[in-house]
Amino acid sequence: MSNAATFDTRTDSAIPVESPLAYSYRRSGAPAAGPESRVTLRERALLGQLVLRGGAIVLDEAVREVLGLGLPGEPQGLVQDERGERSIQWLSPDEWLVIVPGGEEFELETRLRERLGDAHYAISDVSGGQTLLELEGEAARELLMKTVIYDVHPSHFPVGRGVTTVFAKATAIVRRPSEERWELVVRRSFADYCYRWLLDAGEEYAIGVVR
Amino acid sequence: MSQSKKQVHRLAKGGRIDRSRTLSFTFNGQSYQGHPGDTLASALLANGVDIVNRSFKYSRPRGIVAAGAEEPNAIVQLGSTEAAQVPNVRATQQALFAGLTARSTNGWPNVQRDLMGLFGKLGGKFMPPGFYYKTFMAPASLWMTYERYIRKAAGLGRSPMEADPDTYDHLHQHCDVLVVGGGAAGLAAALAAARSSARVIVADEQEEMGGSLLDSRETLDGKPADQWVAQVVKELAGYDNVTLLPRTTANGYHDHHFVTLHERRTEHLGETAPLVKGRRQVRARMHRVRAGQVILATGAHERPLVYAGNDVPGNMLAGAVSTYIRRYGVAPGHKLVLTTSNDYGYRAALDWKEAGREVVAIVDARQSPAGDWVEAARAQGIKIITGSAVIEAKGGSRVSAARVAKIDIDAFQVSGPAQELACDTIASSGGYSPVIHLASHTGARPTWRDDILGFVPSLVKGVHACGGANGTYALGEVLAEGVEAGIKAAAVTGHAAPAVSLPQVKALKQGPAAPLFQVPHEKPTLRAPKQFVDLQNDVTAAGIELATREGFESIEHVKRYTAMGFGTDQGKLGNINGMAIAARCLGRPIPEVGTTVFRPNYTPVTFGAIVGRHCRDLFDPERYTALHQWHVEHGAEFEDVGQWKRPWYYPQTVNGKVETLHEAVARECSAVREKVGILDASTLGKIDIQGPDAREFLARVYTNKWEKLAVGKCRYGLMCKDDGMVTDDGVTSCLADNHFLMTTTTGGAAAILEWLELWHQTEWPELDVYFSSVTDHWATMTITGPEARKLLAEITDIDLDKESFKFMEWRAGKVAGVPARVYRISFTGELTFEINVQANYAMHVWQTLFKHGEKYGLTPYGTETMHVLRAEKGFIIVGQDTDGSVTPEDLGMQWCVGYDKPFSWIGKRALTRSDTKRENRKQLVGLKPKDPKVVLEEGAQIVFDPKHAIPMPMAGHVTSSYYSPTLDSGFALAVVKGGHQKMGETVYLPMADGQTHEAKIVSPIFYDPKGERQNV
Repeated sequence: MSNAATFDTRTDSAIPVESPLAYSYRRSGAPAAGPESRVTLRERALLGQLVLRGGAIVLDEAVREVLGLGLPGEPQGLVQDERGERSIQWLSPDEWLVIVPGGEEFELETRLRERLGDAHYAISDVSGGQTLLELEGEAARELLMKTVIYDVHPSHFPVGRGVTTVFAKATAIVRRPSEERWELVVRRSFADYCYRWLLDAGEEYAIGVVR
Repeated sequence: MSQSKKQVHRLAKGGRIDRSRTLSFTFNGQSYQGHPGDTLASALLANGVDIVNRSFKYSRPRGIVAAGAEEPNAIVQLGSTEAAQVPNVRATQQALFAGLTARSTNGWPNVQRDLMGLFGKLGGKFMPPGFYYKTFMAPASLWMTYERYIRKAAGLGRSPMEADPDTYDHLHQHCDVLVVGGGAAGLAAALAAARSSARVIVADEQEEMGGSLLDSRETLDGKPADQWVAQVVKELAGYDNVTLLPRTTANGYHDHHFVTLHERRTEHLGETAPLVKGRRQVRARMHRVRAGQVILATGAHERPLVYAGNDVPGNMLAGAVSTYIRRYGVAPGHKLVLTTSNDYGYRAALDWKEAGREVVAIVDARQSPAGDWVEAARAQGIKIITGSAVIEAKGGSRVSAARVAKIDIDAFQVSGPAQELACDTIASSGGYSPVIHLASHTGARPTWRDDILGFVPSLVKGVHACGGANGTYALGEVLAEGVEAGIKAAAVTGHAAPAVSLPQVKALKQGPAAPLFQVPHEKPTLRAPKQFVDLQNDVTAAGIELATREGFESIEHVKRYTAMGFGTDQGKLGNINGMAIAARCLGRPIPEVGTTVFRPNYTPVTFGAIVGRHCRDLFDPERYTALHQWHVEHGAEFEDVGQWKRPWYYPQTVNGKVETLHEAVARECSAVREKVGILDASTLGKIDIQGPDAREFLARVYTNKWEKLAVGKCRYGLMCKDDGMVTDDGVTSCLADNHFLMTTTTGGAAAILEWLELWHQTEWPELDVYFSSVTDHWATMTITGPEARKLLAEITDIDLDKESFKFMEWRAGKVAGVPARVYRISFTGELTFEINVQANYAMHVWQTLFKHGEKYGLTPYGTETMHVLRAEKGFIIVGQDTDGSVTPEDLGMQWCVGYDKPFSWIGKRALTRSDTKRENRKQLVGLKPKDPKVVLEEGAQIVFDPKHAIPMPMAGHVTSSYYSPTLDSGFALAVVKGGHQKMGETVYLPMADGQTHEAKIVSPIFYDPKGERQNV
């Protein structure tokens, strides 16, 4: 285990916890999804999120062994386990985002550090700093076209891709885990802006929020 | 009176209008009627409205000239309510809808008879080019006054004074091939590209696609051209890979094939967007297109001939006359004289005759015109006067006659006696100008072609021009060029297009055109009746001639001097004529006079579409901490720090009165100094630094030493740019041997992370270290004040004993049941604990602190109190007390500089420059105003000698200034030349109001200079 400090920031479930959108729901409401909704928005809150940095070969071996998933084989790749609960996304040539069910991240970090030993790498827990938003529905792509500069056409953004791009006047990670679903990873401090932007842009598609 | 009688110029049949429905509309307060399919312009012409505006400078009556984007006169203000006002709409491009309300843009106070008319007639002679510069610029102080009246009289439209009820948005589009223009060339190109399966966008500015094919006399495969249009549009609409955008203008062509398309989604339906199923629609949308290849199929604008009186209502472009007849079923007069330099103009006469109206004569500048249409006109028995031109239009509010004479183009003179032909309409055609505007936006200079008497676009890589935009006008060739461009563009993007079989077009025999721009008059240009070049800006041929006589030789200068092309139409009709006239006056060929450069936007774009949804509460991101809701609920006033909203102060209601900033800050300061306060410090940047070389890296980017910082300890660090100037500061803690947490200023967080990456990646890649932002992961709650330890002790398992948890150390444990890292660092000078927890738990911890804190007087405080408290301690704020020109030594922070560190840290060398070493640099000091009630102004200039004559030598300025409730006095931080050597000396601050404040230079540490309070 490298000489870094690890810290399990989670505690027992009796302690109240607030997702990054908690304030936004109270402030802006959450329009219910209805039959006319052509797009729905759902926050998958409080997931475990780790940023891995290091050489691809070393990290790839470690995550295969510990997580059962290899690093994506190419830039802008996104891989996930069969149930879509655990994923690894390329962020930059030596940087990946790992998302796992909430509460798994500390054990994952600990086991990765054990496995990686003295290799040079970094693992940073960012679980409290970002949240994942899902978009589904036939208008999801057009909603994204109003929002992100990156080309989200299926020929250019196939399933299994993830990019960091401009989101209105902020930034976000955009991922496509399946044919029907898009995911946005937004920073906590920008989450309210992103939420209000999406509600506004989605109004013409009768956007509904699933909670 | 029946409706058809009211529409006096409406033909009994023909046109692409729906005669089964009638729409009422209002123009200048009068009610009229038209039909679906009309534009406002065609409906006005149908109703016999001759005058639609008054001219900009001379206030002459003006009528509709064109049928498209190039219209210079029919510029209207739309809107029946204040909120719905839209200025500068071209009536030729505004679809008619029921209830449309429009007014002339020009013509205050009345278009039919206005006061300015008198001024225009009198003043006309006295308003040569450069008139405004020459007359109204002096004295400069009065320009504002002149401008108000000139603008009102000239009429430049006005913006609404009420909020726009509509919404607008943006759509980011990407495609392989963008086709601009949906006429013959554009549709052919789109068809070829679409069949290759490339991603294609077709944008066309008109109500329906088809361009000139919608009013063409020609046939495709023996059928009317509009049938081919319908068939192609239907095929294109069926492709998944094609996006068709009618009513969409490509208004700007920016770098890297980024093209902005302005789509008017509901402007043909009503003045505000109708609801669909109760949901709003966007009125206009800006498509921000990143295209692989761009095909410009933007067509050509017909050039009018420049003759005397060519602005009298009833003078029109020949092509526009045809368009109104064939597309809108409107013949805008009864007796036509056509003056032309080419075969295309003949179309207007043929259409006019077929509409059952009288063609008085065709006046052709050529000696012996020959061609299919010329023969057709002869066969129709239309009189053709050759070698001649209309040299002058007669009439006041409508053309009454045309004066026709033989002309000698080469000698530029009238070569025979004039005859007067009675008529009410004069159509003119001087040939075509390719629409090269978008190609111009890319910076490519157009090229003059003598064979077509026009500029064709030069093209940057990835741009194709076809059809009229490329100077190709014969329909068969236009279609072929379109297909070729489509195939080529698709191929470049990796899509092979199958062959496209083109419809059969009968090739028209045509004779060459005559190079006629300005028509000579019997009198010299300067004394002839006005010959208008730019109708919108009232620029005449005489004006251009005068400009060349006054020494303006470059067309760019002539344009600026005469204002030619500076209207909202950017001189679409007039610029080439103007250049030709300048060339004639200068005795040079046209291309030598210069080319014309167009800039975005092609036609005016409503601000709403430019702004999109980036307005009101979505104008800019607002970043919130995890505790934001608590701050809102507790009445905080917020301060913008970067994009963050930070609590500024928390005004309370005392005896029914809400505290002022001053009162709240005094209360908050006292609470911290006497009891305990709490600050949401979550916005500070936090960078997680890991790796065996993390410590070495810190030593290189900070000015001070890091080699001995032990695990569990924290240290203040100062960061310089390579110029030796302070750029950031903050506390960095050693979490483990290879693991540090750096904090940065709130505003500097992103830039500092980039700075670290930059140095690591470009200068020291051999150092094993990684950086990740964890700013949002942690929430930071600062409790500070004498009671802080007692409060925290109630809810933590961390040993807070002053011996086991010393100042500048951190400990991990639980606070309120939540895992926390607690840092004993202080920005207030008081005993302080900064509690960091994962942000999702922050609200619980914050509220638990308040549950326990009431008995200790726990008081939330904001950034203003934070500023006062830190300033009392002389702690700097980078960006407030520094401005990029301040070294650590200027700040008196030599204690924070490791001069003997083994590696040359960033900024070290710069600190040995003569300029950073010199005496008399501005240095940070404290200022104590002589009158303790005075709070000096931040930014106030400091002088040593207030009696010195103005300009006084400046000695420095105030960087931070507050009232301190603790000191019961105003106090300030300032930078003063040589200030460190001037302790105890008096300086002066002369203010704008005439007062001069007096202050003493003191140490910047005003409170607890030994730092005992934070060490307890």
